[in-house]
Amino acid sequence: MRVLIIEDEARIAKRLQRMAASFFEQNSVISSCDSVQKGMTHIENNEIDLLLLDLNLNGENGFDLLESVVSRSFHTIIVSAYTDKAIMAFEYGVLDFVPKPFDELRLNQAFKRIKSKPETNDEPLKFLAVKKAGNIKLIDIEDLLYIKGAGIYSELHLKNGNCELHDKSLETLAQLLPNSFNRIHKSYLVSLELAEKIIVQPGSKYGLLIKNGELLPIGRSKYKELKEKII
Amino acid sequence: MKNYLLLFLAICFLTSCRPDISFKDYPPVFKTGDDPSWARKDIDDANWATERGNTGKNIFWVRTKIDLTKKPVGQLGLKVESFGAFEIYWDGKFIGKNGEVISSKPEVPGNATSYFSIPDSLAQTGSHLVALRVSQSYLTDVQRSIGVGLSSYESLLKFPLIITSFMNLIAGAFLIAAIYYLFLYINSRTRQYTVLIFAVICFLFFALLILEYIKYYVEIPYTRFFLRLEFIGWITFALAMLVPLYFAIQFKFKWKKTVMSLLFITLVLIYSLNFGHYDITAIYYSLTMWIFSLIIVFNAIYQKEKGAIIVLIGLLLRVLINQYLYYDFSLFISFCIIVLCMLYLNTIQMKIIEEEYQSSLLLSSKLQLELIKKNIQPHFIKNTLTSLIDWVEESPKEGTAFIQALADEFDIINDISEQVLIPIRQEIELCKKHLSVMQFRKEINYKWKESGIDENEFIPPALFHTLLENGITHSSPLEDGSLKFKLSFSATAEYKQYVFETFANNRVKVKPRAGGNGFIYIKARLTESYGDNWEFKSNENDQGWISIVKIYTK
Repeated sequence: MRVLIIEDEARIAKRLQRMAASFFEQNSVISSCDSVQKGMTHIENNEIDLLLLDLNLNGENGFDLLESVVSRSFHTIIVSAYTDKAIMAFEYGVLDFVPKPFDELRLNQAFKRIKSKPETNDEPLKFLAVKKAGNIKLIDIEDLLYIKGAGIYSELHLKNGNCELHDKSLETLAQLLPNSFNRIHKSYLVSLELAEKIIVQPGSKYGLLIKNGELLPIGRSKYKELKEKII
Repeated sequence: MKNYLLLFLAICFLTSCRPDISFKDYPPVFKTGDDPSWARKDIDDANWATERGNTGKNIFWVRTKIDLTKKPVGQLGLKVESFGAFEIYWDGKFIGKNGEVISSKPEVPGNATSYFSIPDSLAQTGSHLVALRVSQSYLTDVQRSIGVGLSSYESLLKFPLIITSFMNLIAGAFLIAAIYYLFLYINSRTRQYTVLIFAVICFLFFALLILEYIKYYVEIPYTRFFLRLEFIGWITFALAMLVPLYFAIQFKFKWKKTVMSLLFITLVLIYSLNFGHYDITAIYYSLTMWIFSLIIVFNAIYQKEKGAIIVLIGLLLRVLINQYLYYDFSLFISFCIIVLCMLYLNTIQMKIIEEEYQSSLLLSSKLQLELIKKNIQPHFIKNTLTSLIDWVEESPKEGTAFIQALADEFDIINDISEQVLIPIRQEIELCKKHLSVMQFRKEINYKWKESGIDENEFIPPALFHTLLENGITHSSPLEDGSLKFKLSFSATAEYKQYVFETFANNRVKVKPRAGGNGFIYIKARLTESYGDNWEFKSNENDQGWISIVKIYTK
């Protein structure tokens, strides 16, 4: 597990480093930066799996950084004093928000979320941030039709017919998206709120008809599970 | 307001109402010399002079014919305007005297205006002759003619009384205003010149009214006649200077000095060109004042100053009043209106001052709150607590020291939170405590240096603490892991200066920042304690950052 800590308080950065090291044990590479600038450079030049981010760094607003990091493939956990920003952070699509001061238990809880989708999200995700022409564009998940996996990327198919590319994998997005989003196929993630009906095709092939009339394939293994949810 | 309305009605009444008497007067004739028979109605005065001529210290006689065409209901009265002393004869009968005419000696001076009653038996309709035996030994170069007018004796006495009562009423109001505004000026927190000027204007206007109408109830021998006019002239001069000055200050007129010197020159020119013509001088003075005020008010309207339109209306009313009223009254009424306009402006000013005071109180309590908030805002307290937990968990001994340092900082903040100024030493202690807290959090070797500190100096609370916080936030330590702050003090005759320096690397900004809340706090604190007499500069330099606080003492 490659972890990056962006935190301007030396003592707190050390604490995070120590706790992350003890949680992820041997297979962890932990780096630490004390400013937005250094953090960004690190992200540009290194592959990471997890970012621990403080929202107020030397007077710089961490939200500026947050907007650009949530569009990336890695998960972000916010460690901040500003608990009132938690709701907003979740809306942007962070995995967890750890309020300061924190203990090892609370931080480990956040780390555990990486491995399993939590039962319920405290605050549902509202936007997906995608990189577009060097800028970050926020997509309201209300505008989502379905998400199609494309290797390490995901294609976001929107109600207006557009298609955007997201750096996070289908697995990672599934962890962030509200529970109404379901994997109906190894390559498809769709909100069941948009489902019209299940169509059985010849040769035991199943398809899900969604509101715009598109037919998405349903994986054989997912069919039973899906049928229960719809009925 | 009611007073002015009454006055206005009274003046309308006086000017429009015709007296219940009618007469025709003829130009007077003069003859130097002294002969009691010249008082008689029937002597021939055809060869008498029509001009008075230089009578010197001699006794001379004046005769004038009056045709009484309509007799008043009450007693007939005679009003005489003349210099010197005289005995007066009506159809050869002695009816009174003014002063004392003494043969071969200077007379006892009489009043410039005098009133006589004429016995009913002599007041028949028809032609009458008024003869005066006059001497004027003083002011011999003023060869005034003699004016004689008839009226009902009752109205001769009443008319001045009515005018005087109204004018004194107004004068009293302005005296009160003058005293009130003088006290207001003396006792106000911020001494405003406009208030003082207004008090002076009110007083001068009071003096003007009193002097103008004093003639009705104080005996003024003709020898003192010009003294009063002289005074009135100078008061009008002063008013003509002060009123535009008041408007110029109140309306923030840009070319104040130019316009005031131009005004002064104009007034002096008027004075010297019309020397001795008191009434004309006064009219020109007030006209000049009016024109200059008008210029300033037009500029004020252009500058969108509050109350300018009202003053313009007041000034323009003067034209209307001049159109319909006798000069004396119109002058006073237009003055009155102008002063009322000023009163209105003053109340606007008072309102602004009151609002400013309220908002400064509000600001002070806001600043207090800001100071207390410094150590309970989440960024400070939560980060401190997180570090604290770590210290306690990892090395309890240092953790305890950390708690102690934090407690000390809180103590100082608590002490100073309600003060506007604190001893510089206390501020330095606060900074040092903050550094020891931050040292535990940031694990940076912070250093504090000071030079030239005067222990007797006071400073607004958390001024340098705020700069220190900024320094900690926006700089990273030098290669040796240290970060140094230095506070130096110096004083000259004109100002005291604090220089706060940060020796460190400045962090690269993702986004440029404009000032920030810290600077707003510092500036607000400086304004709170020093008004406009301070300067604050803060900028990057070779070694890190430098902030300069200059407090002007002069």
